[in-house]
Amino acid sequence: MTADPDPVGFLPPDAPATDDVTPPTPTPMKLTERPHPLTPFIRGWVVLLALVISIGREFLPNGEERTLPPLEIILLGVAALALAAGVAGYISWRFTRFVIDADELRIDTGAIFRRSMRVAFDKVQAIDVVQPFAARIFGLAELQIDVGSQERSKLRYLSLGRAYALRDYLLTRARGYQAEAATTTSSVSVLTDLHETDEVLVQVPPQTLVLAAVTSHEFWLIVLGGVLFVGVGLAVGQWWVLLAAGIPTISGLFGFVSRRVTGQFNYTLSRREHGLRISRGLTSLTSQSLPARRIQAAQLSQSPVWRLLGLYRIDIEVIGWGAVTDNEDASGVSTILLPAGTFEQVRVALAAIWPRADFTTVELSPAPQRARWLHPFSGPFLRWGHDQYLVVAQHGWLVRRWQLVPHTRVQSVRITQGLLSRRLGLADLEFHTAGMHIAAHASGVDAGVVLERQTELMALLHLHGPDVSEPFPATNPDLSEAQAAIATPDSDKSGLEGERRGQAGPDALRADQAEATISSTE
Amino acid sequence: MTDLFTPAAHWQRLPDRYVTVRRLGALTYNLISAAIAAVAVGFLLDWRWAGALAVAGLGWTGWRVIRAGRWVRTFGYAERDEDLLITHGLWNNRLTAIPYGRMLSVNVESGPIDRAWGLARVELVTASVQSAGHIPGLQQEDAAALRDRLIATGEAQALPL
Repeated sequence: MTADPDPVGFLPPDAPATDDVTPPTPTPMKLTERPHPLTPFIRGWVVLLALVISIGREFLPNGEERTLPPLEIILLGVAALALAAGVAGYISWRFTRFVIDADELRIDTGAIFRRSMRVAFDKVQAIDVVQPFAARIFGLAELQIDVGSQERSKLRYLSLGRAYALRDYLLTRARGYQAEAATTTSSVSVLTDLHETDEVLVQVPPQTLVLAAVTSHEFWLIVLGGVLFVGVGLAVGQWWVLLAAGIPTISGLFGFVSRRVTGQFNYTLSRREHGLRISRGLTSLTSQSLPARRIQAAQLSQSPVWRLLGLYRIDIEVIGWGAVTDNEDASGVSTILLPAGTFEQVRVALAAIWPRADFTTVELSPAPQRARWLHPFSGPFLRWGHDQYLVVAQHGWLVRRWQLVPHTRVQSVRITQGLLSRRLGLADLEFHTAGMHIAAHASGVDAGVVLERQTELMALLHLHGPDVSEPFPATNPDLSEAQAAIATPDSDKSGLEGERRGQAGPDALRADQAEATISSTE
Repeated sequence: MTDLFTPAAHWQRLPDRYVTVRRLGALTYNLISAAIAAVAVGFLLDWRWAGALAVAGLGWTGWRVIRAGRWVRTFGYAERDEDLLITHGLWNNRLTAIPYGRMLSVNVESGPIDRAWGLARVELVTASVQSAGHIPGLQQEDAAALRDRLIATGEAQALPL
């Protein structure tokens, strides 16, 4: 941190709109920081790289004829754009200052339109440290602060150690601790974001990622597309199709596998005392914190070949993170909780976000035989069930999917029945969460079962128990009473609970470390 | 009566006046939208298609006008201790349960036709866009009272998001 007394006077003495929290006494000059001085170069470099890649793609043969302007003009244009990006980067760097200390988190930006943003510490939801490739070469990183609004504020670029130190400090403050202002930069490994004190929960080696990518259904769909195209071409005797379809298919396959592998390379889910964290990436390293309270739903999926290999993938839906990620390569946050892993890893990952729930003990009941009239393919695989924490619904014919929603995230429940399903004595259930992308529903459920269970299902919506994302405390008589009170009438459920409380051994320790009032940031 | 879509509760139905309002609404909105669509198609494609569309629009409007009475009679809502139930639908039956604690806000809206008949529509907003908690055709005083009741219970039973 450098003591910059703001000689140029860009910094307003006190931003009036945002500073009404602190008393109006004249405070001594704050220690403000600027991002790393290499920032403008890297911004220019990022633009240059993006342009080179996108233009380079045009030169690859892809079966289409395209006329391109002469090379000199392209190079000149690229250079001009990169220069412009660099200049813009310099100006924005020159006018960006931030303060992260014991009193405030403030970011001042903008050359013409000044903007001073101040964030309340306890509103910080998640902090991500993202290293795009260009920044990574110079050991720099971008700090993204998620306060739950649509837009996340970004600080770029800081030195990696500084970014991690600030991240740790902010996450600690977000949980209500008055920590020492982060002035030290912790020494960090270049490859991962791991500390000796971190508890590694799940690690996915690159060979698993490669195996998962080449056995995924998306991979085989690309292959199938190419084979069909070539087959049709050969059938009509057009040999050139072999080349025209073969090259894009093969480059598409390479692109697909490398996307899956580079983006998720060295995937590590770990736990530190401030919460869960995912770090991943080969060329660009991302370290994102997972706000467990904001996770609305999870979806497990399994491609046909993965069933033989015992692999699963988990996607989650988090409020404010937008659509479920489908481009694994994009740097920044992604909603992939587990790119590919064994059943045991799935259990660990889900237990990390929802320590109270255990999906393996949820009893799933299959859809009745007559549901196949409405769901000819997926009928035999439709299942659903719930326990006191989770609703689980299974779907899918070739690609099997399991949707998991905790009751505490369900906003409303709907039972629907169309003309045909009324004839067949079936009904559908919808579970509405604050997310829109994993639309949890159970199809083709026996109407009689729904009638039997609907009171119970609706009652589970408004339990005033502890949140599903809070770990079990060691011994808490109140809790066990509450659990007994909300237990379902089935006698076998109580046995299941005892078992679950027994399993919660390691969680108990962490619960002691955590304060009773865990804020919404984990 | 207790079945899948009307579990035992104190069910409230919509006032009979709403049938008329719904018929009028179906007539105006459906006819106007059908007319606009028909004219647009006529100019863009062919007047024969426009004619077909107009006939289809007329048929759909007539169908809605005839069915309005039955649809309104299927609609019901029940304020239970901890949640609000809404049921409706002739062909596609649906029952939605919204816990009071999940409600973010409750709106009362009334369009021109609604206002002429002294009716209003109550909308429950939760964090989910799919919840769709609408209760149409309530008398304006009832709607305001329901809104205030829902808000009061919602505050008392607030659940964390």
